[in-house]
Amino acid sequence: MKVFRHLTTTLVAYGAIVAACVFLAVLAATFTLSLFADIVFSGWMMVSVQIARWFVLWVGVYVIHNVLPIAIAHGRTRREFLAAATGFSAVFAVAMSVLAWLGFLVEDSVYDVMGWRNHPHGSLLAYTLMFAVWCGVGMFVTAAFDRWGYGGALTLPVGLALVAVPGITMPGTDDLPVFRDAPELLGEGWHVVSVFAWMITMALTWAVARAMPVRTRT
Amino acid sequence: MRVDVQGLTVRYGSVTAVDDMSFSLSGNKIYGLLGRNGSGKTSLMSALAGYRKPAGSVLLDGEPVFENAAAMRQVCLVRHMSDAAGKGDKVSHVLEYGAAWRDTWDNAYALELTDLLGISLKTKVGALSLGQGSALGVVVGLASRSPLTMLDESHVGMDTPTRYAFYDALLNDFMAHPRTIIISTHLIEELASLLEEVVIIDSGRLVLQEEADVLRSRGTEVTGNASDVDEFTLGLTVLGEKSLGRTKAAMVYGTLDDSQLIRARQLGLELGPIALQDLFVHLTEPVGGKR
Repeated sequence: MKVFRHLTTTLVAYGAIVAACVFLAVLAATFTLSLFADIVFSGWMMVSVQIARWFVLWVGVYVIHNVLPIAIAHGRTRREFLAAATGFSAVFAVAMSVLAWLGFLVEDSVYDVMGWRNHPHGSLLAYTLMFAVWCGVGMFVTAAFDRWGYGGALTLPVGLALVAVPGITMPGTDDLPVFRDAPELLGEGWHVVSVFAWMITMALTWAVARAMPVRTRT
Repeated sequence: MRVDVQGLTVRYGSVTAVDDMSFSLSGNKIYGLLGRNGSGKTSLMSALAGYRKPAGSVLLDGEPVFENAAAMRQVCLVRHMSDAAGKGDKVSHVLEYGAAWRDTWDNAYALELTDLLGISLKTKVGALSLGQGSALGVVVGLASRSPLTMLDESHVGMDTPTRYAFYDALLNDFMAHPRTIIISTHLIEELASLLEEVVIIDSGRLVLQEEADVLRSRGTEVTGNASDVDEFTLGLTVLGEKSLGRTKAAMVYGTLDDSQLIRARQLGLELGPIALQDLFVHLTEPVGGKR
């Protein structure tokens, strides 16, 4: 519980600060752009889909590469840490998707006032699942690199396949070119596939990190 | 805390860092873990701390350590600061980690030590000098108050006054809170007076485990007239010699029997203890290109 509390309080707070700063920057950029051209898309949507998921993936990397060795050095087991990290990935994904939605609420109001055109954005659930999978893949791939060095590159195709799953139905992404019809066929049921993708990322992270050595760093 | 190691092997690819090692530490002592560079000290301590899965058995008070929450709570290994903190963390964050995650952590003592060793709480770990980073490692190790505390070359980069402050703090804290402390160091003579028992390893194998005083008694420095010293040491294992004019001092390995002691007295030779460091060098000396 101590590890979970630490991860959640520090990284959710950090994520909120980053999101607030980026939102203000996007809004400023949109106003600047509006002086020269018509606004026909949501800047926040592009950020929340294209950039935010990479930020969330980086958080997954940070959790395994930086915080796991620290936790072990302070007397915690990998099992305790991974249980906390699994819970954290879910909570962090929810927090980030709520932040994304708060951004949309504000942005929609601004767009209405300014008479700018907007685009539909994904659901809260879709964002949560996308962030959860990206965070989990960050953990999994990092655990593989930390354990096997360059051999961890072999897990990259698996990671890429997993992160593609929740983004398929998300406006602002163009994932999965081959199976374009699959999400439409499954409808909202596609979220179940995304939940499975997240469960697979966490199971793989556990499998790789469970006996991972803490190497000497320089 | 008692430590039992049985058939421990640590490999990195084709390199064997610890080779089928077995020993036991009865606990509540300050142990010196001595070995040359690459002898396997860090790998051994990493296995003792649950940093890596052991091939063989590592038991702390009879319990396996790897992924055992109860046993892991009792151990603290400080190799250097990067294990216990990120480079972007402030020193104050490092203490917060300890306070949050270790039940045995003494934060008041940690603050006292950071002050004693001259470490600013606001400085980022990555901005600390090598010596300050080592000192912070000492803070983490001692303030953890772990029943098994291991300090791996914690003196690295420390200036002499800081090292002496570290040795004093170590001894005082051990006296106040007896526990099993394992220290690896290359500055053997500086720490020799603190060590109760010595474990010497070389090329991943156990060379010797002995009470420090017993080990010291295995060597004798013989000083006197050069020709008398040469006569006395004939046939003995001589670790080294120093001459000044007609006076010579020779370091002899092995216990002297009564007849040898009488002969030394007859020749007017002075007998004294030799440094632990000299014994260590001898015991790990390469023989025929191999150690």
